[in-house]
Amino acid sequence: MKDTKSRIFTVGILVLAFWGTVLPVANAYIDAGSGSYIIQMVVGGALAVGLGIRVFWQKIVSLFTGRSRTVEGEEQQSPPK
Amino acid sequence: MTDPSTLSSSFRDPAGFLFRRGGVLYRQVNPVHQEHYDALFDSGLYDELTRLGLLVPHEEVAAASFGTEDAYKVIKPEVVDFISYPYEWSFGQLKDAALATLRIQKVALDKGMSLRDASAYNIQFHRGRPVLIDTLSFEVLQEGEPWVAYRQFCQHFLAPIALMAYRDVRLGLLSRNHIDGVPLDLAARMLPLRTRFRIPLLLHVFLHARSQKKHSHTGGGSESTKKPARNRPFTLQAFKGLIDSLYRAVDKMELGRADSHWVDYYAEAAHYSSEATDHKQELVASLIEQAAPQTVWDLGANTGLFSRIAAAQGVKTIAFEMDPACVEESYRRVKADKEENVLPLVCDLTNPSPGLGWANEERMTLQERGPADLLLALALIHHLAIANNVPLTKIADYFASLGSRLIIEFVPKSDEKVRHLLSSREDVFPDYTRDGFERAFKESFETERVEEIKGSERVLYLMRVR
Repeated sequence: MKDTKSRIFTVGILVLAFWGTVLPVANAYIDAGSGSYIIQMVVGGALAVGLGIRVFWQKIVSLFTGRSRTVEGEEQQSPPK
Repeated sequence: MTDPSTLSSSFRDPAGFLFRRGGVLYRQVNPVHQEHYDALFDSGLYDELTRLGLLVPHEEVAAASFGTEDAYKVIKPEVVDFISYPYEWSFGQLKDAALATLRIQKVALDKGMSLRDASAYNIQFHRGRPVLIDTLSFEVLQEGEPWVAYRQFCQHFLAPIALMAYRDVRLGLLSRNHIDGVPLDLAARMLPLRTRFRIPLLLHVFLHARSQKKHSHTGGGSESTKKPARNRPFTLQAFKGLIDSLYRAVDKMELGRADSHWVDYYAEAAHYSSEATDHKQELVASLIEQAAPQTVWDLGANTGLFSRIAAAQGVKTIAFEMDPACVEESYRRVKADKEENVLPLVCDLTNPSPGLGWANEERMTLQERGPADLLLALALIHHLAIANNVPLTKIADYFASLGSRLIIEFVPKSDEKVRHLLSSREDVFPDYTRDGFERAFKESFETERVEEIKGSERVLYLMRVR
């Protein structure tokens, strides 16, 4: 079952990857703003779910490890002296 | 009322503009930006970002005395010592600037605000750290709308960082040709196949580029574009998911160790005896002390050994080096040691940063950002004169336009490094002698001190521009 899911996921990524990268020849003077707007609307939901899962997972992990970690795992910029 | 002249780097922004008066830098806030400027303070965002060192602090001055008649506010920002540009940054610097932008956006979202632009030119390295210099970059969060600066972030940061990490570090210079960032379709074509399987890059570069192409004729503000927002708003969680995805995409990209023989230049140092190395460092320290500069530009700085001698004396030092690997190495040290006085930058002196943008005025040339109080040109002259055929008088003229004083090392033809340069080419440099060098530089500089480096045939000069 796990293998099947994994295969479906991999094939999905492959299809997306090639669909996304076989780009038609671009020319200058295009208005890139609309496409940037629309791609965010399209992927926003999935990214929101992804973030929710990561936040939830971090909370579970911190229950066992006792350490809280930022979702981004980022190095926090400390205030300057 | 005054008639402040707008700095050419800020004329595009209707929210306000930068201007100088009496040599002091000010920023005017126009009435159109009043709501957003006030919200920056009312939300606590200004205090939080300045506390974190992510936004350059400012003080308000009397708008009536400094701005135009309709000025809402005039602010005097803390001065950044040296304005540098993304095409002069190493991979690590561009990456840290990108992460700083995203951290700022995350803090802003928590305060009900958002960055309305994500230009890499709005970030500067101030005391060793990336900081946002455009106080007018914030707007009140428009509920249900996606990030208006998404395209700019991807073009200014994500695409060049990915190209540098996965293709070639020298592609950072692409930003010099594309002032509004690397076009995503171009980046998509240049990135290697394996990057298509990295989900963040797949989304934010490849599919983003495709979406731009597909909707290129839709029109940014048309009804057809706006419709999805009304039917299905872009939630705050989606916004945070987008920023988180971009953050992880940038954070995970690393630069492999570049194949550069310059990084080990000082470590190998076969051309110097240890006596000569030690003596040279002592002499350079002494000459800098004599010159007592406020600013030093170290030309051909390598990984910044001598830049740090100046920085140790409390001098603001810019370490220019043409090899991105050396600059990367130097920047890593800036971060590791929390150095505030050294700024390493990529710069090929034989083709320094030009004026760019509208009327070639939006981004300054290297020369326009000077002059420095003192230039260091150590172990450099033979690369310019012999490897690049630049006549000694031309070198002297250009140096005289970059700095008020100069510490320069003359490397004679008998030196191993020069012999190596001449081994594969005809010696067509009859004037490249100590006398010829002194004659050439005499036109532009007067010599203040001459020191021979023990254990070598090299000579150090301290000169002042005539």
